Amino acid sequence: MIDQPTILAAEFPPSVEDFFPPSLAPWGGDSPWVTRITVMLWIATAAIIIFFLVAYRKPKIVPGRLQWIAESIYGFGRNGIATEMIGHDGLRFAGYLTTLFVFILVNNFFAILPFFQISPNSHFAFPATLATLTYILFNYVGIRKHGVVKYFKNSLVPPAPWYILPLLIPIEFISTFLIRPFSLSVRLFANMFAGHMLLLVFTLGGFAMINANGLLAPISVLSWVLTIAITLLEFLVIVLQAYVFTVLTASYVQGALAEEH
Amino acid sequence: MTGHSPSDPPRDDDDRVPNSNQGMTALSYLIAGILVWGLIGWLIDRWLGTRGIAAGIGAVLGAAGGVYLIVRRLGG
Repeated sequence: MIDQPTILAAEFPPSVEDFFPPSLAPWGGDSPWVTRITVMLWIATAAIIIFFLVAYRKPKIVPGRLQWIAESIYGFGRNGIATEMIGHDGLRFAGYLTTLFVFILVNNFFAILPFFQISPNSHFAFPATLATLTYILFNYVGIRKHGVVKYFKNSLVPPAPWYILPLLIPIEFISTFLIRPFSLSVRLFANMFAGHMLLLVFTLGGFAMINANGLLAPISVLSWVLTIAITLLEFLVIVLQAYVFTVLTASYVQGALAEEH
Repeated sequence: MTGHSPSDPPRDDDDRVPNSNQGMTALSYLIAGILVWGLIGWLIDRWLGTRGIAAGIGAVLGAAGGVYLIVRRLGG
């Protein structure tokens, strides 16, 4: 074995610790409020606000390029998600759904953005908060439209003969009020978490192999080439998960507003 | 703001999204069914001191209930 100089001293295998970057708080200490994660969150929020403000600052009938992009995004949220899933009623939710889509998309995108390379959504708190908002939203609009009794009757009592209802009502309850918010948040969180982990394994694994034995260098290179391929795959996951989260939110709202199932 | 008005007639391809969403609903019914009635069965097991019979029956019943719900709510 040749004595190989260490190329990059990084811990391998990657662990959950890698998801908790050190605090950047100027007042020092171990504050969780100012880290790379929260800084990214602020950047994403500011970027979205500034982008739409600038794009719509002087709206023209024949839109310029920036306005066209912003209108396409909103048009997609309105026609592609809100009215398509909810129907004419969905227009009320177009603003929220579009914002939700763009917010998740931008936050997810940090996962493959150079120098950031981790998405805030790989921390469970972020998807959980978004899913909580969805949960409150669809229950609120349902109760507001139908009243408490009719809303719960609509969502808990399926069209079935009375003697199987005791079997079905608990299933409906768990499925609608417990599994929905859980699966909504875990789906987004797990995708972003696993994506980051995968990229770490392939990048750091390359370094680990080349450090262990110089003869493994070709495999290290293969590992890094695969990292690029996985980054492209990640891009697909990023867009898809933002879309799925928004579409499911719209579908829950639609279900809450529906007259009868 | 874009060229479409909200009263656009539904397009032909618009059942693509509800379909993927129906898949998730179906899955959640199935899981919820097995989970709920499996759990109730397990509680009965603990109460009667039987060893897993009620939990097994519960899980099967729950799965049946889940399938029934999928057919009623999502079928035709």
